[in-house]
Amino acid sequence: MSYVDTAASDVLSPRARRRRLRRRRLARRPFAIAGFVVATIFALAAILAPWVAPYSASATDFNAVLAHPSSTHLLGTDELGRDILSRIIWGARASMQAGVLATGLAMAIAVPVGLVAGYYRGWVDPVISRLTDVLLAFPFLILAVGLAAILGPSLLNATIALGVGAAPGLIRVARGETLALREEDYVRAAVANGASDVTILFRHIVPNMASTLLVQGTVTIPAAIIGEAVLSFLGRGLQPPTPSWGVMLADAQSYLSQAPRLAVYPGLAIFLCSLSFNLLGDGLRDVLDPKTTR
Amino acid sequence: MSSGVGSTERNPRAGAAFAGAGAGTSLLEVTDLTVRFDTDDGTTYAVDKFSFTLGRGEVLGIVGESGCGKSVTMLSLLSLLPPTARVSGRALFDGFDLLSASPSRLRRIRGREISFVFQEPMTSLNPVFTVGRQVGEVLRRHLGATRADARRHAIELLDLVRIPAPERRVDEYPHQLSGGMRQRVMIAMALACDPKILIADEPTTALDVTIQAGILDLMRDIRDRLGTAIVLITHNLGVVADIADRVVVMYAGRKAEEAPVEELFAHPQHPYTIGLLGAIPRRGVDRLREIPGIVPSLSAPLDHCAFAARCPRADELSWTEVPELRRVRPEHLVACFHPGEEGTV
Repeated sequence: MSYVDTAASDVLSPRARRRRLRRRRLARRPFAIAGFVVATIFALAAILAPWVAPYSASATDFNAVLAHPSSTHLLGTDELGRDILSRIIWGARASMQAGVLATGLAMAIAVPVGLVAGYYRGWVDPVISRLTDVLLAFPFLILAVGLAAILGPSLLNATIALGVGAAPGLIRVARGETLALREEDYVRAAVANGASDVTILFRHIVPNMASTLLVQGTVTIPAAIIGEAVLSFLGRGLQPPTPSWGVMLADAQSYLSQAPRLAVYPGLAIFLCSLSFNLLGDGLRDVLDPKTTR
Repeated sequence: MSSGVGSTERNPRAGAAFAGAGAGTSLLEVTDLTVRFDTDDGTTYAVDKFSFTLGRGEVLGIVGESGCGKSVTMLSLLSLLPPTARVSGRALFDGFDLLSASPSRLRRIRGREISFVFQEPMTSLNPVFTVGRQVGEVLRRHLGATRADARRHAIELLDLVRIPAPERRVDEYPHQLSGGMRQRVMIAMALACDPKILIADEPTTALDVTIQAGILDLMRDIRDRLGTAIVLITHNLGVVADIADRVVVMYAGRKAEEAPVEELFAHPQHPYTIGLLGAIPRRGVDRLREIPGIVPSLSAPLDHCAFAARCPRADELSWTEVPELRRVRPEHLVACFHPGEEGTV
């Protein structure tokens, strides 16, 4: 009788072996690592803002209005003499919060809805599918701006608007995955062995689509970060003087010719932050996909 | 339900005369089972008035080509077919009609009283959980076992299906096991609650030959030790010869022939059975005989013998009437207008 030879790696538990394999796969993908590092730096900056920011976000220095970068103000100051680096660090809070919470909200909406549509089919599926089709016909940002306009400007409302705006795409993913997974042999075997719908959904379908959802999540986060910046830029998100990258961009408009760096630095922050999450997401997709051989 | 999984006390039904095929009270009695599929392409008449019985501790082989309705028959008993299926007839399991059972009642029977082993061991296990958890899940679901108990029983079950080093295997993931080992895990899952009937749908088809023998040997051992009745669905008469007590040959959704296994191999009556027997590889036979033609489409109810187009014995009668089952020996039924062993007709 043949069985898998485990002599070579007997010392490690199966779980540890899988983890090691994933680490190796990740190590072969420098862009994913870079994305992970940069995303972590932004996350830490957001969490540790009170300690790492050299100044308060609202502290004004009227002796250095629109100052060039110097040793006291590493990235210079804005029209009110506020330290730009500090405002970017504090602004990371709003961006991260919007990015992560909006994605979490979108998941919380999309996963149950997608599961119900994909698993039960019947009349529910076409209703949900056509509804998502309609919502997907609106560009994500237009939808979010519209919702934010209805809800009123605040970080919480911007987050809700972005989360709801991102949900239709995720519903489609969750439904598609459910449709594919419910046909798996192990699902049929579980049904034949007396599993209930709840068991099938939460022990067989959700765990098997977790990696897809994780990857979708890491690409939804940058979309929501950009979304927050856009909403704030348009005055539908955070309101000045609260630090936010979008607010900073909006404020920079009047000084573009004198001090373009006021727009460049927050723009760069948005760019780097989204890029890092996208690279991380791409890397995760490769690492978590069991069909990848390297 | 006894909890002594894998122990010797666990076979109250063992020791009875299993070879008494079909005799006495039967565990499962299926009468006039008919299955149709209503699809956009029209109706498919998959199973037509199919009847059979299964005795306690008996091993029944159901044999036929792909698409003859073997799997559909067994899946229909526990309502495991897609919603397009229309099932009628009666299926008494211990005197209780499965076909009119409520969904929740069926769920309690599935995996506990009647369990399935499917053809595809490579994909029938959930890739994200250890085999121990998956075997344990069945125990926890049906018997309300605690996590620790379930794990202990899972190890015993893996031992019962002869998986080496079960204490270590229990924590492994499906992808770390070979096909044969996974099929053993599937059997362990199916046996977890000490079911009365184990339905094995082509359990060895996806495995290579040496491993097939091991799995069949295991199933025979399970019947002998636990007294579990087994329905073995296969297209391979050779597999049936090894372990079945009685064989039903199916063709185009109908029963073509039924007999105890020795009888069937010694005195096959239906030309289809004879054709199948000719297709078993044997020493000294240079060329396997094939049955000419293909299985008929089942898109209309049959008004003649389904095998007529492929049958050397077909005559006008075969093309105008459907042959009824008739008894040629006490336990030997055949649905053919011209039954008889090769060369006698």
